[in-house]
Amino acid sequence: MPPVGIWIDGLIQSCTYMTMAFGMVLVFSILGILNWAHGQFYMLGAFVFYYAVTAAGIPFPVSLLISGVLVGGLGILVEKFIIERVNIPSAQGALYVTVATIALIFFFEGAASMIFGMQDKGLAMVLPGVLDLGSFSVSYQKIAVVIFTLVIMITMYIVLNHTKVGLAIRAAAQEPDAASLHGINVERLSLLVMGIGCALAAMAGSIMAPVFIINPFIGGIPMIMSLLAIVIGGLGSLTGAIVGGLILGFLNSVVAYHLSYFSEVVLFVLVIIILLVRPQGLFGASRK
Amino acid sequence: MPTWVRRSYKRMLELINIWVYYDKIAAVRDLSLSVDKGDFVTILGANGAGKSSTLNAISGIVKAKKGKRHSKTEGHFKGEIYFKGEKLNGLTAAKIASRGIIQVPEGRKLFPLLTVRENLQVGAYLQKDKIQMQRSLEKALVVFPDLKDRLRAKARELSGGQQQMVAIARGLMAQPEMLLLDEPSLGLSPVLRQHLAERIKEISQEGTTVVLVEQNARLGLMLASYGYVVENGKVALEGKTSDLLNNEDVKRAYLGV
Repeated sequence: MPPVGIWIDGLIQSCTYMTMAFGMVLVFSILGILNWAHGQFYMLGAFVFYYAVTAAGIPFPVSLLISGVLVGGLGILVEKFIIERVNIPSAQGALYVTVATIALIFFFEGAASMIFGMQDKGLAMVLPGVLDLGSFSVSYQKIAVVIFTLVIMITMYIVLNHTKVGLAIRAAAQEPDAASLHGINVERLSLLVMGIGCALAAMAGSIMAPVFIINPFIGGIPMIMSLLAIVIGGLGSLTGAIVGGLILGFLNSVVAYHLSYFSEVVLFVLVIIILLVRPQGLFGASRK
Repeated sequence: MPTWVRRSYKRMLELINIWVYYDKIAAVRDLSLSVDKGDFVTILGANGAGKSSTLNAISGIVKAKKGKRHSKTEGHFKGEIYFKGEKLNGLTAAKIASRGIIQVPEGRKLFPLLTVRENLQVGAYLQKDKIQMQRSLEKALVVFPDLKDRLRAKARELSGGQQQMVAIARGLMAQPEMLLLDEPSLGLSPVLRQHLAERIKEISQEGTTVVLVEQNARLGLMLASYGYVVENGKVALEGKTSDLLNNEDVKRAYLGV
């Protein structure tokens, strides 16, 4: 049995993957695309948060919101001026979107390197201190990660299930044509959802910034992990994204504790096994 | 009755020389038709004659130019469509819905994972406030009282007949001026079909203008007051339904007499 600290680290990773995967699935369910640059929105969010806290001295819960709003806005611009243009209805549309968003990975990483520099930055001074719980202790930063993730998830739950916009999002995800026949502007909804998805990534990046380091290349791993989480959970299922994120986060840290270098091999083997048993993912609808 | 008599009415909806294309194949070829306020018009024809494509052009599911994304039905149309004197060409489906035309699509297209109540709420998406929505809901449930007990059920859990009722009720939630019904009787038992036909009749009598596309020609002709027979994407015949019911060609080709 690994020590409590390893489980806590697992939970922290789970929080990132859940928030990232949730945003990606939300975008996928409405726009029908995978945004391969999702991880770079995570990275940009971390930078915005870093400068809001350090340079501007804004209190960090507010900085978190600023990061979400700014990077979410960037996501809307990307949807409006890039993805919407290349996502033509024919079969090539999906390919063009893939190429365009992969190009964005390099664009954002390059731009961040030029603007922010490539050296690591740290935010350890935000929320210093640990909570002593007798046999083990948890840093306040890690507690903040869990609390903020919970707040974000609960907010998303309320928005999706108890607001008119949320109803429109769920309807458009299931039957876009029928949704537009009843007056839902699916194109505008796509912009909004892309904004929400990127804002979630940015806030995940911001929340994690004090725990890890910040540099222009931190987006890759969370992106791959949340993609795996989505595949495990079932592409298109929001519940699946959350559960997949939880599983992966814990697996990653617990397996790494026992096997260090081999942990990723074990991880991918597990993913393959899950997909062999349930090709549609844990929560995906089976295709008939 | 000669067509000019009808043309002298003030027209609510007018389609002029409509062509609908999927890729380069034309499903509708130079079709023109008009619907008056308060009318109950039926569009009849065999499978693939272009009936649904015509409705999809009116509602904006088929766009006036090359199809954009978000629509599974990719296609585009040429020609002009006027609703209450205003051109609908180029408007999105959502905009057209907000003008007062609501389509109940073929195959119902319910939101399967939403509850019946939520499906109906989406139908009322264009309503301004909760009070108006509640009123629409009550009205829809007067027409389809069977749905009262199923409001909490997920749409996919319902039987085919109930699903069709939800689809039409969802359309009514917007309190449309014009309701476009695409093959509502498809896949229903004769008893259910009869029940549904009566409900549609009621909706029309309440003052909603109805355009009904039907493969079941008898049903369409019994319900509507005016009919268009579409063959190969063109209007082959039109007239009052009482005349069409007695037309020899219609009898032979569509009524199996």
